[in-house]
Amino acid sequence: MAAPDRDESLRATLVGALSSDRTGLGVTALPGAVWIALLLLAPLAFMTAVSFVTRDPLTYQIVWEPSLENYRDLFVGGTTEYSLGPVGFQATAFEQAMLLSYAIATVATVLCLVLAFPLAYAMTRLGDRAFKVTIYLVLLPFFTMYLVRAYSWRLMFGGSGVLNQALGAVGVGPVGLFEYGVPAIIVGLTHAYFPYMLITLYASLDGLDFSLVEAARDLGASRVDVVKDHIVPLALPGIIGGSLFVFVPSVGAFITPQILGLGTVQMIGILIERRAIGAASNAPAAGAASVIVVLTIVVALLVVFRYVDLDELGGA
Amino acid sequence: MATETDERTEPAERTDEEFGDRLIDWRTREQLLQVGLYGTAALMLLFLWVPLLVIVFLSFTESPNLLPFEGFTLYNYTRVPGEADLQSSVVTSFGIATLSATIATAIGVLASFALTRYRFRFRELYRTFGIVPMIIPGVILGVGLRFYFQFLLPVEPGFLATVLTHSLYGLPFVLLIVTARLYTFDESLEEAARDLGADPLTTFRDVTFPVIAPAIAAGFLFAWVRSFEDYIRALFVSGVEVTPLTQWMFGKITKASAENLNLLNSVSTLVVLVIAIALAAAMNYGNVSGYVAGTAHEDEEE
Repeated sequence: MAAPDRDESLRATLVGALSSDRTGLGVTALPGAVWIALLLLAPLAFMTAVSFVTRDPLTYQIVWEPSLENYRDLFVGGTTEYSLGPVGFQATAFEQAMLLSYAIATVATVLCLVLAFPLAYAMTRLGDRAFKVTIYLVLLPFFTMYLVRAYSWRLMFGGSGVLNQALGAVGVGPVGLFEYGVPAIIVGLTHAYFPYMLITLYASLDGLDFSLVEAARDLGASRVDVVKDHIVPLALPGIIGGSLFVFVPSVGAFITPQILGLGTVQMIGILIERRAIGAASNAPAAGAASVIVVLTIVVALLVVFRYVDLDELGGA
Repeated sequence: MATETDERTEPAERTDEEFGDRLIDWRTREQLLQVGLYGTAALMLLFLWVPLLVIVFLSFTESPNLLPFEGFTLYNYTRVPGEADLQSSVVTSFGIATLSATIATAIGVLASFALTRYRFRFRELYRTFGIVPMIIPGVILGVGLRFYFQFLLPVEPGFLATVLTHSLYGLPFVLLIVTARLYTFDESLEEAARDLGADPLTTFRDVTFPVIAPAIAAGFLFAWVRSFEDYIRALFVSGVEVTPLTQWMFGKITKASAENLNLLNSVSTLVVLVIAIALAAAMNYGNVSGYVAGTAHEDEEE
């Protein structure tokens, strides 16, 4: 009869622990805190530390002496002439990758916002049944493997991709826009993160009081005015939150540029991966590039949290 | 409503006929806008679905390209059972996803209670860092954990390292969904149970758990899917021995022969099918859509 006794005393101890606020908090908060400290904060701190040492170019061993060399390499030396439309400028490979990633992520975020808004708005006006069907149709691609979605656009784009073949069948020659490259990456990212934007926007629009909209219309406001003065400000937490959920992963995207740019479009995620894995791997250099990206993300988060509370971002 | 407005603004000068014309005008415009709104919404759904439907279609054709069309076949599916690499990668991915989602759910549910039931000093910080693993780009989380495991911890790249990585990655999804549910939970139910003499464990088992169970299931489902579909984080920590399904697929995409693409199309279609069924079941069982959209309320339960 030893086992039940032990169970009983264990149970009594647990009950006692949970009855007290202090131990209750400890039991519930501690595992998560340990996990976050050990698997998120410590690795990021270690990565930062590694970014300040160097790798011996001959032995490939890490030389544990403080150095700013990796950061210097990111921003100084080895510049090439790049052009962005009519503007030509000198930049290092890292600067160019950052610029390109931010530009692509910005376009993808704006596209997601513009495309998701009408659908999110329409979803708030749907009946129960239609809403369930719609959310299912949105969630299914969302739950489908990211890789499968990127691959699906690989089939769509390309010189002999579905889009160009379909155009060819109706007599329009292959269109350069549908080749692999930056436009394909933007479409792929938009498709990949669109549901994040939609769900976050919907969550904030759903709380919107439509009698306000009707009242504004009754009082003679034009449709544009209503959207500008009422709907957008009320949906602002959703707009900012959704943009964050699209923008940040897009900046660091790897699969999409790899698969839809055929590796020729050097976004920041690809640049970091090349330095972290494989024959030419250089942990300190990859660390330094990652630290800069994390810093820009932290700045973005700080800006966002000035305007919205995390609770308002919805459960995506 | 707008008709009343019109009457108020210039009531005296309007004959019935003019009023009727304006009304029809207004209604046509309203209908056009309505059609436009729902039309755009439908186009967006099409945008989400067309590429997936293309894969499904191509999985049943002889050629992995749309043109020239060479007829339908089930051959691409008959190859699936013969692929030993594919099967072992699916088993690996299932194992990693199930273990990591279980850990993420256990930790995430406890943390959700801490966040909603206690006031403590670093609560906001705790919540923020609990969400970060979801937002931080996979490349960076992967690189950080790779070096960390490699240099600091005695954790070899492989199965365990991947499970640990994904358990962190899945945590925010559980946290967001379960805290959302707990915020709307009526705590007087728990108080009533305790007043009637139930201890905290019994209260949890009989009162709290049944109410939040669908949210926990939804959180687990999210964490599971996020682990199962992850390529980039696993790439950095899984080592050369462990090959999840995504790495198998990535290999086939980069070595894009007609044979590989045909196989890939049928495997992708199967993935879409399995997820479609799982999602339909989950949505029938619990209020997944509500949790996802952040609109779960107590009265919407079941």
